[in-house]
Amino acid sequence: MTFLRLLAACTALAFLPWSALAQGTSSVKTDYVRAELLAHAPEGVQPGKPLWVGLQITHQPEWHTYWKNSGDSGLPTELTWTLPAGLVAGDIAWPVPKKIPIGNLANYGYEDTVLLPVPLTVTPAFQPSPLAGDVQIKLRANWLVCKKECIPEQGEFALKLPVRGTTALHAQAFEDAFARQPKPVMSQKTGIVPESTARVDEGALAVTVQGLPVALRGKTLEFFPETGEVIDNGARWTQAWNGAAWTARIPLSAQRSASPDVMPVVLASAGEGWRTELRVLGAWPPVAAAPAAVSPALEQALRENAASPSLPASSSIGLLAALLGALVGGLILNLMPCVFPVLAIKVVGFTRHADDRRGHRIGGLAYTAGVVVSFAALGGLMLALRAAGEQLGWGFQLQSPAVVASLAALFTLIALNFAGVFEFRSLLPSSVATLEAKHPVLNSFLTGVLAVAVASPCTAPFMGASLGLAISLPAWEALAIFIVLGLGMALPYLLASWVPAIAKRLPRPGPWMETFRRLMAFPMFATVAWLVWVLGQQSGIDGAGALLALLVALSMVVWALTLRGRTRVAIAALALAGFAALAWTAGGAITRSLPAQTLAAAEGRWQPWAPGRVDELLAAGQPVFVDFTAAWCVTCQYNKKTTLADREVLADFDAGRYALLRADWTRRDPAITAALAQLGRNGVPVYVVYRPGRPPVVLSEILGVQEVRAALAPPPL
Amino acid sequence: MLRRSLLILPALLVAAAAQAAPSVGQPAPDFTLKDASGKAVKLSDFRGKLVVLEWTNPGCPYVRKHYDSGNMAATQQDAAAKGAVWLSINSTEKASSDYLEPAKLVAWQKERKVQPTATLMDEEGSAGKAYGARTTPHMYIVDPQGRLAYAGGIDSVPSANPADIPGAVNYVKQAVGEAAAGKPVSQATTRPYGCSIKYKS
Repeated sequence: MTFLRLLAACTALAFLPWSALAQGTSSVKTDYVRAELLAHAPEGVQPGKPLWVGLQITHQPEWHTYWKNSGDSGLPTELTWTLPAGLVAGDIAWPVPKKIPIGNLANYGYEDTVLLPVPLTVTPAFQPSPLAGDVQIKLRANWLVCKKECIPEQGEFALKLPVRGTTALHAQAFEDAFARQPKPVMSQKTGIVPESTARVDEGALAVTVQGLPVALRGKTLEFFPETGEVIDNGARWTQAWNGAAWTARIPLSAQRSASPDVMPVVLASAGEGWRTELRVLGAWPPVAAAPAAVSPALEQALRENAASPSLPASSSIGLLAALLGALVGGLILNLMPCVFPVLAIKVVGFTRHADDRRGHRIGGLAYTAGVVVSFAALGGLMLALRAAGEQLGWGFQLQSPAVVASLAALFTLIALNFAGVFEFRSLLPSSVATLEAKHPVLNSFLTGVLAVAVASPCTAPFMGASLGLAISLPAWEALAIFIVLGLGMALPYLLASWVPAIAKRLPRPGPWMETFRRLMAFPMFATVAWLVWVLGQQSGIDGAGALLALLVALSMVVWALTLRGRTRVAIAALALAGFAALAWTAGGAITRSLPAQTLAAAEGRWQPWAPGRVDELLAAGQPVFVDFTAAWCVTCQYNKKTTLADREVLADFDAGRYALLRADWTRRDPAITAALAQLGRNGVPVYVVYRPGRPPVVLSEILGVQEVRAALAPPPL
Repeated sequence: MLRRSLLILPALLVAAAAQAAPSVGQPAPDFTLKDASGKAVKLSDFRGKLVVLEWTNPGCPYVRKHYDSGNMAATQQDAAAKGAVWLSINSTEKASSDYLEPAKLVAWQKERKVQPTATLMDEEGSAGKAYGARTTPHMYIVDPQGRLAYAGGIDSVPSANPADIPGAVNYVKQAVGEAAAGKPVSQATTRPYGCSIKYKS
């Protein structure tokens, strides 16, 4: 008997869980959580009465699930209800979450036990059968539970909700869940409290929350945004109380993908929370779609073209040829108006000690050393700066108005010295002057350094593109080119000092030396005039005028220092004061840059170049000719006035419907430097012909009419 | 100007360590990581090509969702057909239970027909942190000029359910197609979803 009863009981028991499974149990247990569907109907299931269902999740220690905004990773718990007709489920009333940091990332979620309540609304359509004692509530829930690893889990739940009578078995759990709800801040609708805002401010959100309870003032609050993908959840942020308003500065995510107009947020302290909706002020920085990318095919073609440039001093001809070119270039430098006077004066100096051959030879070597070391240092400096990421090309020294002004001052001083306005001996204390005499070797070395200093503004105008190419070679090859350039420049002086015949050819010392020296002042002044013009291009007529005024004041100061006695003190003081005053007032004009529009103004056929413009025009099917130029580049100006103004060339441009773009590199422009680098160049001038669907063709520095016409001619079919 | 440039040099060395993650349009940080055979691979080796960076971790259900269903293979092959380079990067620290040895990781990928140009190990987490990578999978695309063109999720439905893949928009396929055609990427940042990357702390 007992056995049969036991058997019956076991059988009954055995069937129970199966049937429960068929309908879904109200509780699901996994290795990480125990999840249970609960209901709360303290006043029965009636319209207008509170009716709640909810999923209670009890986590294993150190495991967590996620809030409405999961943070940097993770996914919020998702509830999908199957309800009897007439019952409508609302949104989850998320309790205040906890911030869960992992390294410099952060998530928002729940640990231990949490109940996610959902309100149910009884609509008039709810007509349960009079015979049924209860209705079935079904839930499919997805949640992601994580500790270090993450496991997505799912549960099917079912619950019978009695329609008559109340359900308050879990009243405590629901009351706790309601207590953990964020309360609304004192609303603006009462009229006194200003609205809470979030202002977009340079990569951060400046949040101001109004209407928080007085008891919170001065306390540190936690911040939980309901909108994800806006702020950087793991970053440090600052907060401060400003009277009744709570403020905070929260960094935005670098890869933000949401741009909301209203941001609901929850502020919490000690487990209690307050919710408000921040009105977003200011514009969200546009999530920049990368500018129209050059298609990989074109990019590949550009790289191939850059590897085989068509310049005479190109690396494809070989390092030896480049070195030969550098030697010749150095020789030519001696003829520049910058360098020639210095060189000439030094050579003429041989006449003074015509028989001191040994002295001459050593002097010649010292000068060569000075020149070579300075060129190597200049080249090395440029390579180092480029390696450090500075966007420099050759001619960088002339792109800075301050450098141009300093060079102009230096040249003025040298010119005044040549003109006889002052002698170095009268300016320097006697100890230094005798130093000069005692160490003629050092003197020659320093003259070499000076020669390079005065040569540099002349290299850019005439050798900009070639030297620019040198910089793009491997470091050792580039330095070798600079060193050979220095050798070439020092060669005439070296020959003059070593070959006695040359010194012998020079006429006897005499008054002609003075005249010659004065004559050499004029090429120097001419260089100053050119530098003032360059500055004018960079900073406008005001800058050029200011520079001229400063040079006049400088000349006066220098002359005043040559006077003697009390007159010297008086006039020098006056001159210095004048110079200082002028520098103070007008000096700014020199470095002030012209508004970009002036520089980039379209000149007739030529439009200003802009990054991406070439690609746009090519995409529209129009061929493009780009002239990379600069005001201080003499070769550029020469080409502009000759080849690029040639009637036949212009006719070819029109026939081919070429868009003519001019990229002005007079002042530093990282976009242009980058574009030059893409073409494998580093200095100006550079002339490029772009045709849709074909790799760009780079023309030579000294543009010939035939060369341009050949490049513009339509390709044979 | 020169003085300022010289002062920048030491500062650059310090700053390199503390840089914020790049935004779309900014230069993508270069990195040097070892592939499964120990060879060093640099991002700048691929300058001039479109590069897709995929942060992966076979231990993550969201990564498995895309690999086991064939979606990752399809996306990678589509990108390869358009001339893009695909670099899979694993920033899981060695101490994590999710860590997989390089050879095993490559084999796991190969089984699922995913053939990246290189599978790179970032156990120190430096590359991941430089990009602000936070989930697996987290996808980035670098344009041929070395700028970041896309950062975000692989597709538009954040879930672990493979059934959601056909109905979702594959953001990576879309972005690679647009970038390869020279058009601007229409959805350049999206929400990345998945497990958090197990960085070395």
